[in-house]
Amino acid sequence: MREYYPLTAAQKMHHNWIKKYKTQQVSGVSVVASLQSPLDFGLLKKCIQLEFERYGCMRIRFTKPDGNGDVKQYIMKRDTRDIPVKDLSGMSMADADNLMQHWAYETFDGDDIPLCDVTMVKLPEGFNGFFIHMDHRLIDSCGIVVMINDVMQLYTHFRFKSEYPEDLADFEKVLANDLKRANNEKRFAKDKKFWDDQLDALGEPLYSDIQGPSVLEEARKLHGNKNLRAADIELDNLFVEVKDYYLEPGPTQNLIDFCMNHQLSMTNLLLLGIRTYLSKVNNGQEDITIENFISRRSTHDEWTSGGSRTIMFPCRTVISADTEFIAAAYEIQNVQNRIYMHSNYDPALIEEEMRKRYNTPENTTYESCYLTYQPMPVKMDNPHLVNIRQHSKWFANGAATKKMYLTVSHTENGGMNFSYHYQTAHLTEQDMELLYYYMMRILFKGIAEPDMTLGEIMEQV
Amino acid sequence: MTQEMQFKKIVAQYCSVKPEDMTNDMRFREDLGLSSLDFMSFLGELEDTFDVELDEQDALKVITIGQALELLEELQ
Repeated sequence: MREYYPLTAAQKMHHNWIKKYKTQQVSGVSVVASLQSPLDFGLLKKCIQLEFERYGCMRIRFTKPDGNGDVKQYIMKRDTRDIPVKDLSGMSMADADNLMQHWAYETFDGDDIPLCDVTMVKLPEGFNGFFIHMDHRLIDSCGIVVMINDVMQLYTHFRFKSEYPEDLADFEKVLANDLKRANNEKRFAKDKKFWDDQLDALGEPLYSDIQGPSVLEEARKLHGNKNLRAADIELDNLFVEVKDYYLEPGPTQNLIDFCMNHQLSMTNLLLLGIRTYLSKVNNGQEDITIENFISRRSTHDEWTSGGSRTIMFPCRTVISADTEFIAAAYEIQNVQNRIYMHSNYDPALIEEEMRKRYNTPENTTYESCYLTYQPMPVKMDNPHLVNIRQHSKWFANGAATKKMYLTVSHTENGGMNFSYHYQTAHLTEQDMELLYYYMMRILFKGIAEPDMTLGEIMEQV
Repeated sequence: MTQEMQFKKIVAQYCSVKPEDMTNDMRFREDLGLSSLDFMSFLGELEDTFDVELDEQDALKVITIGQALELLEELQ
């Protein structure tokens, strides 16, 4: 008998975006993982098919939406599909990437259908591997990295007789546990109290835009409300561009050392960099909110069960200009630690509470910036592959629900990559250049002189 | 199963140290490798399992397994 489950808060977040923006494209996630080595595609196919058995989240399907657009999920017992091979080896790498980028734009349309595609690829320059295209309601980026590693461990087991990989956690069991936890009334009451207390203490949040106060002013005019504190979101033109900036290993190490020496997490340092920039370009605004994504993978089972566990929560801080850089970093850390403790809560309920309290107009927001800090690189961590060059790349789904979404990740050579996804309807590459430039200036000024106040830093950079 | 062992079994889900190898002076972050998110999620699980309410500021001062066990006993 097939079991039907409601969506978790993390899955609902993606589902609600699909409903709001009326396209599944906003929920696409795609990556290619390849090695500069000949591969036995027959064996790789067997390993990918085996992965469909091992990693239950790849077999999730959703029912037809009910009257409210809500769906239930279920897990197919098996998926015995063929895995095609596509030969792109005659192209340049740029053309091959461009073609795969178009695959990433494709949507999964329909009910009760598979929401996961895997294609084996022969790439230029002797690279071979596979391209994965999935719906984010099935998996997040950490889950994909675990999957890639598991497929390659299976491959090296069959090819080189290495140890068979350990079993992955049962997705359905972890899902049932998550849903049970979300239904724990005591836990729910504690989490709700935490988020409500924040609004009681700080009142309605205030929008801060990357481009300065003019965006909020425009929204105020549009809604005929000079006290409006939220700005409109883009619903029609979701086209997104991506601008990547690379931070060299030396300066990256300086940031890491600062975090280690001050017992700070990199996420909190990055949040401080963004919030100080927003404050600088919004006339010193002290009340700033940034949406921060949390992976919610802590236990062994959570790490290896796959699924969509990443969820975003507003990191709201009110910090005055006379606060020292290091004190501001600790203040953010304190807020974030408390958020982690209450991260089982559904963030849609926070938004609902704010709409109820402040009559926030439909389709407006208090945030313009979203951050994901991703310490886990897409790297096949396998002793048999250490001396083989790898080529991995994430592909944007081409439809942004957020004005600016920054993903920060570590590169193999010890540097850091800052990947800015921005809606072209409102932002340009120059806006991203300014944001990156000032973020770096602020962060490096701050770590060099942590006793300097935010006001001084904003003035000097 | 003693409360201490039940507690250590929960900790073991968050790290690669077996419950029987855990000592009370082990630090959650430095010795067991828990991140801030792991540690705060762990505290939430402690609250649910042992039906206690942790004061977040007190909980953040906890560094070792022994300190966490003491705090848990105080709250019960």
